[in-house]
Amino acid sequence: MEHYLNKGIKDIILEFPETGSILNEYNISCVSCNVGTCLLKDVVEVHNLPFEEEQALMLRIAKVIYPDRQVKVPRVERKVPAVAGEIKYSPPMRSLVDEHSVIKRVLALIPGILEDLNVSREDDKKLVLDVIDFIRTYADRYHHAKEEDILFKAFDEDLEIVKSMHEEHRIGRGHVQAVLAALETGDNRSIRKHLTAYRQLLTGHIKKEDEILYPWMDRNLSLSQVGELFARFAETDKKFSDTASRQKEFIRSLEEKFACEEVTANV
Amino acid sequence: MFNGCPGSKTADYRTKEPQGDAPATKAASQLRQWPIQLHLVSPVAPYYEGADVLLTADCVAYALGNFHADCLKGKSLAIACPKLDSGQEVYYKKIRSWIEDAKINTLTIMIMQVPCCSGLLRLAEKAAGDADRKIPIKYSVVDVHGEILKEEWL
Repeated sequence: MEHYLNKGIKDIILEFPETGSILNEYNISCVSCNVGTCLLKDVVEVHNLPFEEEQALMLRIAKVIYPDRQVKVPRVERKVPAVAGEIKYSPPMRSLVDEHSVIKRVLALIPGILEDLNVSREDDKKLVLDVIDFIRTYADRYHHAKEEDILFKAFDEDLEIVKSMHEEHRIGRGHVQAVLAALETGDNRSIRKHLTAYRQLLTGHIKKEDEILYPWMDRNLSLSQVGELFARFAETDKKFSDTASRQKEFIRSLEEKFACEEVTANV
Repeated sequence: MFNGCPGSKTADYRTKEPQGDAPATKAASQLRQWPIQLHLVSPVAPYYEGADVLLTADCVAYALGNFHADCLKGKSLAIACPKLDSGQEVYYKKIRSWIEDAKINTLTIMIMQVPCCSGLLRLAEKAAGDADRKIPIKYSVVDVHGEILKEEWL
């Protein structure tokens, strides 16, 4: 079993597809993950299952991997004991979750934006450029930079869970590049494809961070580290204060525009 | 029947079974400074600069069996009693000065569960809210049997 504890979860699911369904039953969505390089032992630790549930999950996975053998289920080591109940974020993590709420407002508008999109019209082209500007400045340079330059560096960056977050950021940037390239050639289909993929990627990414990664990080941060992260985030907030307020204004205008169109369409 | 302040209500726990063994070796003190009473300390004393500061109600350290190792270790300390201490406007100024002048890293407030103790939390909340600089603030509520009932970020 030790061998599989140190193996990437996607590889285990590929070898033993039933393990994917078992993980799903415990609300561990590795099957739909874009990366899937987290080790089985990390997956168990970061999801913070109570001990009894962890043992039951590991026993079921062990039976799939070794159907003909009695396997001793190892207990996954945790630096901090599991805490049940509602998620309570530290102040710096809370600020990242709040930024996610802002990003989710734009993600929610993407289907409406794409519905009748035709970038041969100047207005539509500008709209896509404005959305890309939001993604690049707010989501990427402001929010993801806080994660990559500050938060992730407080942890071992060789951890698969951290590497997989970096990888999803990289995939997201790839979609943005592809949208910009498609804008150059007026390829509406490719713009739709990549903005939709970006929306799907970020929706899953944010859910993972809010519900799994940040609570796990909070459990492993010392009080001093929380204070240091808070101070460094405050410096970034100061640096990006104009960007953040400009982008929030942009979202408000976008929400008004698309809400109005929806109302008009429903009349 | 006692109808007065719950913070002053007499309670006798002598019949209670001792929880756990006494430490086999002498527990090391984690105190790294003097003085500690909030009226006596200077908020800009070197041991507060950039520190993780612990502000506790006087009774907390007596209620918690492992206060030094679990709560005080690595922190700079101040103690106060929100029920009995006079001149608490000075406390407000000192907490604000910790945040603005000493640029402390975090503030942890520990109070007892008795209602009058929450005054210390409210005072710290007001001082921190009025301060120009913001820091993470955590608080814990301790019961008279030495259990931490609640631990949250403000």
